[in-house]
Amino acid sequence: MTKQTADLFKQGTLELLILRLLNSGTLNGWDIMQRIQLASGEVLSVTPGALYPALHRLEARGLIAANWRQSENNRKAKFYALTAQGRKQLEAQRREWERFSGAVNLIMKDA
Amino acid sequence: MGLSNLFRRWRALTHKKELDTELDAELQFHLERDVEQNIKSGMTPADARNEALKAFGGVDRSKEECRDARGVNLIENTLRDITYSVRVLLKSYAFTIVVVLTLALGIGANTAIFSFANGILLRPLPYPQSDRLAVIDETARRGEEFSPVSYPNFLDWREQNTVFDDVAVHFGTGRFALSGMGEPVEIRGSRISHSLFNVLRVSPQLGRTFTVQEDRPEQDAVVIIGHELWQKNFGGDPNVLGKQIVLSNRSRTIVGVMPRGFRFPEISELWVPLALTPQTFTRTDHGLTSIARMKDGVTIEQAQAEMHNVAARIEQQNPVTNEGRGVRVTSLHDNLAGDYREALLILLGVVGCVLLVACVNVANLMLARATARQKEFALRAALGASRWRIVRQLLIESLLLAVAGGALGFALSLWALHLLLNAIPIQLPFWMDFGIDLRVLAFTLGITLLTGLIFGAVPALHTSRVDLNDTLKEGGRGAIGFRGRSRSMLVVTEIALSLVLLVGAGLMIQSFLRLRQVNIGLEAKNVFTATVILPRAKYREPQQRITFFKQLVERVRNVPGVEAAGATGTLPLNGNNWGRSLTVEGYPVLSVGQAPSIQHTVVTPGYFRTMGIRLIDGRDFADADTFESLKVTVVDERLARHYWPNESAVGKRVRFGPPENNEPWHTIIGVVQAVRHERVQSDTDESVYLPHLQIPVPNLTLVARTTAEPQDITGAIRREVAQLDRDQPISEIATMEQVIAESIWQPRLYATLFAVFAGGALVLALIGIYGVMAFLVQMRTHEIGVRMALGATARDVFKLIVGRGMKLTVFGIVIGVAGAIALTRLMHSLLFNTSATDPFIFVAIALLLSVAAFLACYIPARRAAKVDPLTALRYE
Repeated sequence: MTKQTADLFKQGTLELLILRLLNSGTLNGWDIMQRIQLASGEVLSVTPGALYPALHRLEARGLIAANWRQSENNRKAKFYALTAQGRKQLEAQRREWERFSGAVNLIMKDA
Repeated sequence: MGLSNLFRRWRALTHKKELDTELDAELQFHLERDVEQNIKSGMTPADARNEALKAFGGVDRSKEECRDARGVNLIENTLRDITYSVRVLLKSYAFTIVVVLTLALGIGANTAIFSFANGILLRPLPYPQSDRLAVIDETARRGEEFSPVSYPNFLDWREQNTVFDDVAVHFGTGRFALSGMGEPVEIRGSRISHSLFNVLRVSPQLGRTFTVQEDRPEQDAVVIIGHELWQKNFGGDPNVLGKQIVLSNRSRTIVGVMPRGFRFPEISELWVPLALTPQTFTRTDHGLTSIARMKDGVTIEQAQAEMHNVAARIEQQNPVTNEGRGVRVTSLHDNLAGDYREALLILLGVVGCVLLVACVNVANLMLARATARQKEFALRAALGASRWRIVRQLLIESLLLAVAGGALGFALSLWALHLLLNAIPIQLPFWMDFGIDLRVLAFTLGITLLTGLIFGAVPALHTSRVDLNDTLKEGGRGAIGFRGRSRSMLVVTEIALSLVLLVGAGLMIQSFLRLRQVNIGLEAKNVFTATVILPRAKYREPQQRITFFKQLVERVRNVPGVEAAGATGTLPLNGNNWGRSLTVEGYPVLSVGQAPSIQHTVVTPGYFRTMGIRLIDGRDFADADTFESLKVTVVDERLARHYWPNESAVGKRVRFGPPENNEPWHTIIGVVQAVRHERVQSDTDESVYLPHLQIPVPNLTLVARTTAEPQDITGAIRREVAQLDRDQPISEIATMEQVIAESIWQPRLYATLFAVFAGGALVLALIGIYGVMAFLVQMRTHEIGVRMALGATARDVFKLIVGRGMKLTVFGIVIGVAGAIALTRLMHSLLFNTSATDPFIFVAIALLLSVAAFLACYIPARRAAKVDPLTALRYE
């Protein structure tokens, strides 16, 4: 990841992405990292050093909840799921994000 | 914050181990998935592991951030920092002890002085709603002078005002002989108007207060006693009411017992009715003290305005007696505490400066220590501790030191306050209460925390600014120049502060010494004094009193070891004064409002000789000056010079009291040296002496000049009094030197405190200079070695170090002198015959400080001069 993309990858954006990914199912940290990379077509990537603190922050705020269970490779892993509160937060942030990116897009097209 | 959230945080705090294990497992899982992935893509297991770790980044930092996310890391880290700090501080116990002691002394001194000031200035008076109580003084000559109150004026005030709930008067503190119950004892008591307890809003614990009828002559044979007196002298007898007791030979019935702890006005513990009439105590007799309770919502200013009008009306109706008479209303607390306020505020400032110097010293030590610990901090920073974390660690250490110092200081303050109160030779009024209260605790806590922040901030901020790379590279010698500068500033501050304090102390001591050297007008050495108060009821006839005292003085003269004896109505500097207006024959007759008030002293023949008061002209009183002979008086030299500057006053005539009274003329038979009756500080009052044989007052103070220690004759004097009257107590036994010393206890106490505090500041400042210079030499050993290797002599090095120290000193002195000139003016009113900018004191203190600072630089400079260049260079 270049320095530039890292700068764009602000804490809030990362949290929004995490919420979005968890909306479609329960995932562990490693899965989330892989999916961010895959879903963004390898444009975005996140380091564990940024991801795990973000997960713990979201957990502390009650937006996601975690429990330990078997992962696909038969080892115990910590899986995160969206809480009701997290779902609400996701909706709000998604709207915010769409408004923002829509506005940016408008300007970019006009220019 | 939701309940579940709270629960999570609580769990985070209590299940820390468990959560950390979970965190480890979570990250471990992540790493292992990475490794698996890498192996799948064809790497060897070892490469796969290395690559995964590299991709992960700083595992520990991630963990720390995850812990932060739990939201309790702050509390946990703080707890850990505290434990760590305690361990660090205990390890360097020498440093810790020095710092804690320095702070304890500073905080202890401040708490002690604050408790003292709190007891006088801040703590409310021990009466209900005491902020509503006011004192009403009369003013004479259109407000130029204050005077006690006359009874008829009081009656008018009470009737005419609309601002007070009630007004009362009393006669101050008097002495009563309680007899008929074994040894006669003397008890402090007061004559009060019946309204007094209503004004104070204090009710008796037993019985009742005085009725209006009992406040009249011949109906006043009643008394109210205090709780302590009741316990001590009546065994707490519940049936004490209605009991007859003999007070100063007059039988009175006990009608009330006041509650525990109640005294009024200052130390009195029994009260009898005033029982005055406007005829027995006229408008020109001034001797009462008035106290009033303001109605709710009325301010002092409103009360003052109203009473101004009332006084104007009284003046209009009584133009002769009340010409120029006004009133002044002040709050009771201000009135009582007023004498002490200024001195106490200045003392608080002084002791605050001492604490500041202590803080500077501790900051200096902290800086030196921080420098020595630079490597430790650099290492911690390199291991991932944030700058804030290091600063916080330092602040916690500072606060811990401050709290330890504060706790010890608080204990010290109790002891210091005890010392301070013991140094006061008089019985302080009962309303002064120096116990520890919430205000004192809050003050101590406040200055403790403030102190910790002040001395902790400097090193903490500096450490946080140090460049870590440089520090690690240079092996702990980084940023010396910067730090050297701030340490120098601390030294300059210390010197300046101690100069201000020393100048203040110098002025106070000089002032006190001058006060002690004042020629009071008598020879106090070897003079015994004791007061005898004859009960009016028993010694009703003037001749009885004359005979008693004549016989007593005669007997005392024959006591072995007594050279001369006499007696006086008012002992100089004893706080009892009696002023009456004076009319001089041949001078225009002035109304009471305009005539000067002259100190009156009734004395027996031989008084002047006993006291060493020189007779300048004419003769002393003699046994021949009786009722039947010519009325005579002796005046002091000031009065004589005032009215007869060019001729002898002997043979001239004066008379006393209001002019319209037409009291008899007194012929001046002698002129004596002027004596300072009221205060050692002031010689304003002219005074006259009258013979006891012609004015036979019942209260006299016996004086006797002895050949040996005056106290030695106490027993003999008691025996002589008892032989004349078995029921007659004597009181206030003291030497004249004690009486004088007691009259100036305040200046003495303040000068002592100033000296102690300034001395403390000086010692601290010198330790500070020494510390900085020693540190400087140590840090510059290498440089000094180079200089010497390049040809500098030991003398050059010595000069270099001392020069640096003295430069700081001179700088500090210059700032200090400027500060002192600005600040010592505030203490102007505490100084006697001493200018607040006395150049001698300023120069002497500046020199003293320079010499002391030179000595403090001398030792490190000598050490520097002895540096062996070879060793110094190899040392690096």
